[in-house]
Order: sequence, then structure tokens, then C-alpha cells
Amino acid sequence: MSEKLLNIEDLSIHYFTENREVCAVNHVALSLDKGETLGLVGETGAGKTTIALGIMRLVPNPPGKILGGRIELEGENLLEKKNSEMQKIRGAKVSMIFQDPMTALNPIDTVGDQIAECIRLHSHVSRAEAALKAAETLEMVGIPRERYGEYPHQFSGGMKQRIVIAIALSCKPELLIADEPTTALDVTIQAQVLDIMNDLKNKLNMSMILITHDLGVVAEMCDKVAILYAGEIVESGTAEHIFDDTRHPYTIGLFGSLPSVAGQKRRLTPVAGLTPDPARLPAGCKFAPRCPHRTPECGQEEVALREVSPGHWVRCRNLEHVKGRE
Amino acid sequence: MSAIVEVKNLKKYFKTGKGVLHAVDGLTFGIEAGETLGVVGESGCGKSTLGRTILHLLDNTGGQIFFQGRDITRVNKKQLRELREDMQIIFQDPYASLNPRMSISETIAEPMVIQGKLGKAEIEKRVFQLMDTVGLARRLLNSYPHELDGGRRQRIGIARALALSPKFVVCDEPVSALDVSIQAQIINLMLDLQENLGLTYLFITHDLSVVRYISQNILVMYLGQMVEHCGADRLFEAPLHPYTKALLSAIPEPDIHRKKNRIILKGELASPINPKPGCRFAPRCLYAREACFQKGPELREVEPGHVVACHFAEEIQKEENG
Repeated sequence: MSEKLLNIEDLSIHYFTENREVCAVNHVALSLDKGETLGLVGETGAGKTTIALGIMRLVPNPPGKILGGRIELEGENLLEKKNSEMQKIRGAKVSMIFQDPMTALNPIDTVGDQIAECIRLHSHVSRAEAALKAAETLEMVGIPRERYGEYPHQFSGGMKQRIVIAIALSCKPELLIADEPTTALDVTIQAQVLDIMNDLKNKLNMSMILITHDLGVVAEMCDKVAILYAGEIVESGTAEHIFDDTRHPYTIGLFGSLPSVAGQKRRLTPVAGLTPDPARLPAGCKFAPRCPHRTPECGQEEVALREVSPGHWVRCRNLEHVKGRE
Repeated sequence: MSAIVEVKNLKKYFKTGKGVLHAVDGLTFGIEAGETLGVVGESGCGKSTLGRTILHLLDNTGGQIFFQGRDITRVNKKQLRELREDMQIIFQDPYASLNPRMSISETIAEPMVIQGKLGKAEIEKRVFQLMDTVGLARRLLNSYPHELDGGRRQRIGIARALALSPKFVVCDEPVSALDVSIQAQIINLMLDLQENLGLTYLFITHDLSVVRYISQNILVMYLGQMVEHCGADRLFEAPLHPYTKALLSAIPEPDIHRKKNRIILKGELASPINPKPGCRFAPRCLYAREACFQKGPELREVEPGHVVACHFAEEIQKEENG
């Protein structure tokens, strides 16, 4: 049996500004086994990054506030940890890499020292040992150790992202959260970076949460997928469930927005309209105003997730009328 | 068939502190009226510079540009202003390309005000008409860019580009900054406009699935040079240049059953400043031989309408098939 690493239940995170309450994440539940990769998919403002920051306990407060729920890592609730305890967990057990490698690195420190710093924070080793380990980590991500003493601006975008990965993995975390790690990169460089991430994930037997809007990247990397819309999970399941048995109208719309590389010249069939303002979410199903299958009831009461087959959850009350993708 | 836009040996160099940057280095191609030519390549390959040089937003360093058969390589200010009525551009970033202090109606009207041919009432009528064409609600007439989302801003950018009824539009990554569902809405709009107005597009993008969808022909650039140019389907079905092959194999496809053989390229783009002689892709090429580093490949038409710049294209193809 696979072992459970992360279990999130009923997580809600809102941002409070002067006169608005932005409901970024609403009652989200997720779970992840050891060695698994979960894809968190959604458009701008869906709450993907806020969930990740929640797991890291890095939601800026104020304005952000975790209203409730549980985030269990190996059975321990991270939301009950003291800040000092969280500092030991961050980087050692859970690491995060961000979209933009240009802003994630310190411009006035050498890349080697930045990796060594992380190692020294989490393990009692001498400077020399940390430097040696840092050099090994650099090589692990395919950067020659001779470049240890160079500064971030001397590296290209793809290499910077590999350095960020090296820092995140330097203490061999159990869980890596990657927030759009390749969105800023060109496709051949993206292929290099994804390749390295997959390789290291297997080598270190890590679990990974991959935040992305690119269903192509999800297809290549993920075992499980959760589709987010307006702070809620609207569909979740294994990659097979999501790609082969797409059920939620929003997920169907996402796929319909993608031009096919295989070259069919049909018109794209995107979702009409725009994502709702998270400070003024519609009542009932959040997707109802844009949904081609909506009925009057959709806009009235909240819709619960339903299990349509073992492990495949969908938040829609009219599933019987929704045809899947062709 | 005659090309509406044609360039011959087009060059654009920039002088930098370290040397001469060859952003566009000897491109030759034509675009038929009503078609879309997709230009693909990675950051820094010169694709945006190409679009801007054709439109005279940048002065060319060498070569020739023809528009409807007329040589427009050198034009004076007056001629350029007339040319702008026929050639327009849509920019990538709808956040940066709109003046935050101008309302939507002012933004869309500006090209017509500068042109000076229409009266106030006519301009107003045309603004409404353009807003309808691109799907902007009339109530947004007096809104400002910061009040709108990315998709609507890009619709403003498109309406402004269409204000003078151009024949040729350079689209510089028009959907790259948008979310997928909004991206699809804008792509559909651009296809509708092309059909209804008979527009010709030069569509610059790094997104290969978008480019296949929207283009009839595709031109692949690498470090300022053209490496392959042919029909869109042909390029995806039978790419000949090793760079094109690697590029296509790197596209992540939203299909969990198709496992493909990724070609992972070594290294990264070299510098376009003072490029060395020889093939510019050779340092990363899986098939590079001694000859590739000595002499740059000429563009060759290996089959009708399929141009490639590689000494060994046919050999590599045979090797792979056998």
C-alpha cells in the first residue's frame, strides 16, 4: 500500500482588504501519497498559489488569513505548528520553487553560497562540508561545479531555474511544491527542466505538487490532477480520469480552448465569459454563470463534490446532461 | 499568385558595446494575400525584430521590403504615414501597449485622428463599429485600461490596429499573456476578422500549437536566421531541420497516451553578437559534423515549397527512416 504524505481538509483562505473579502480558497480537500505528483490546474486567480502558500504557511498576514481546515503532513497538522517549528519544516520537509527564477535568487550572493546557506540552516555541518554538498547539488541539476562562485546574472533563465531547484532540493525534502516552474521558459528549455525535475523526483523518492495552467505539462508529469475554479476544486482524480473521462463543464471548456498540435482545424470551443471576481462570487455553483448546461437550481444552492467513480470527484449537479469531450 | 508582402535578404543589426548583434540576418520570404505566416522561435531569435523591421518601426540594415509589389525599403515620412494605413501591429502585452491615461474610445480613435481624413462624427461612428467588430460592449466606451481584464484590453489593441482598415497586420505574440480560455476567445476573433476583412497576418509566437492552428505557412527562426519554411501541416508532419525536430518534440501535449520521443537539446541559445561562421545551430545539434562548423548552410528548396537550411537534411531523414 502506498503511504499518505499530505492530507488537506476543508482549507479556506481569504484575503481581507479595506472593504472587501477576497475568497481565494474555499473548502479545499486534497491528498497526496509518497512518490506521487499532483497537478493543480486553474487559470489566473483560481487560488492555486494561495493553496501552495497555505501549505508552506507563507500566506501574507495581513491581508491573508487561513480561516480553517487542516493541513496534515505525515499526520501532523501544520496549521497548529509554531513559527519556529515551521521554519524547520520549510526547506527540509517541504520546499517550494517559484515561477520567476529571476526574482527568486539573491543577486548579490554567489549561487553556490545560496545553496550552502540552505544546507547550513537545516543540518549541523561545517562551512566546508556545506560547500561540498552544495557543489554536488549543482552537479545534480546539470551545472558544472566550477560555476559555484558565479552570480545569478551570469546564468541564463533555464539555468537560474535549475539553481532554484537545486536550492529547493538541497535538503532532500519529502514534498516539493513547484509553482509554474517552467512558464517563463522557452519550450526546449522547459523540456530540459521538466526532465531534470522528473529524474530527481524519482531519485529522491519525493512527492510533488505541480501548479500549472498547462494541461500538456500535466499530461507529462502528473499522476493525479485537481482542477480549480474560483477557489474551489471542481474536478479531481487520476490523470486517466481527467484526460480520458472529463466530466465537469469547466474542465471540458479548458480542453476545448487548446489548439491541437495534431492539427485539426476545427474552431476552438472555449468557455464563454470571464472568471468571477473572487470578492463577489456568485451564489450556488461558481461556474454556473458561464456554464452551457446550467439550470435555475445551479445558481441557488451550493454544489457538493460527487464521486462518479472510485477516486474521481466532480462538483456538478447536472452531470447526467453533460456530454464529455469528443 | 503574388505576395502582398515580400522581403529579400532582410537584415537588422544593432550596435552594442560588445559588438554587432545580428537580430535578423538575411531573411527572404513572401506572404500571400489573405494567408497567415506563422513565425516561431525561442526568446532572442529575432522574431519580434523581424515584424518591427517590416513595418518600419525599426530601420533595416540591409535587404529589401516590398508591399504589394512596391519597394518600400526606403520611404520618407509622408510615404510612411500612408503605409501605416495598410500595415498595422498588435502587441503582446495588452497591459503595456495601451496608454493608461486614454479612454477606450480615445485609444481606438487615435489612429484616425492622426490620419486626419475623417470628421469627428465619422470617427465616433467608426469607433462604435470597431467595438462591435471585436466584441467590446459599447458601455465600456469611456472606461480606462486599468478597469479591464487582459482579454478585453487585447480586444482594444486589435480594434486600434484595425481602425484604418489595414491589409496586413503583424501580430506579435497577441495571446501569450492571456489565460487559455481567453486566449481561445481571442484566437477565434482573429480568425473571424481574417475571414471577414481579408486580412493578411504575420503571426509571431513561441507557442507551437497556436501557430499550427492559425497559420497556413510557418517560418522557423534560430538566432536571426531562417532554418525552415514550409506549409504548416508539412512542418509538423515532416520537419527536416534538426532544430525544428527538437522544437516540435518538446511541446507538451495534453494527451496522456501519446508517449513521444523527446529530443532534449543540450545547451542554450548562443549569443547573436558577432556570430561565428558556420551553422549557428551546430553547437547544439545532435547531427553536427566538422563541415557544419566551417560553413553556414544555404537555404535550399528540398521539395516544392519546403525550404531548409541544413547541409545534411536529406541524409538525416534517410537515417531516421532506415
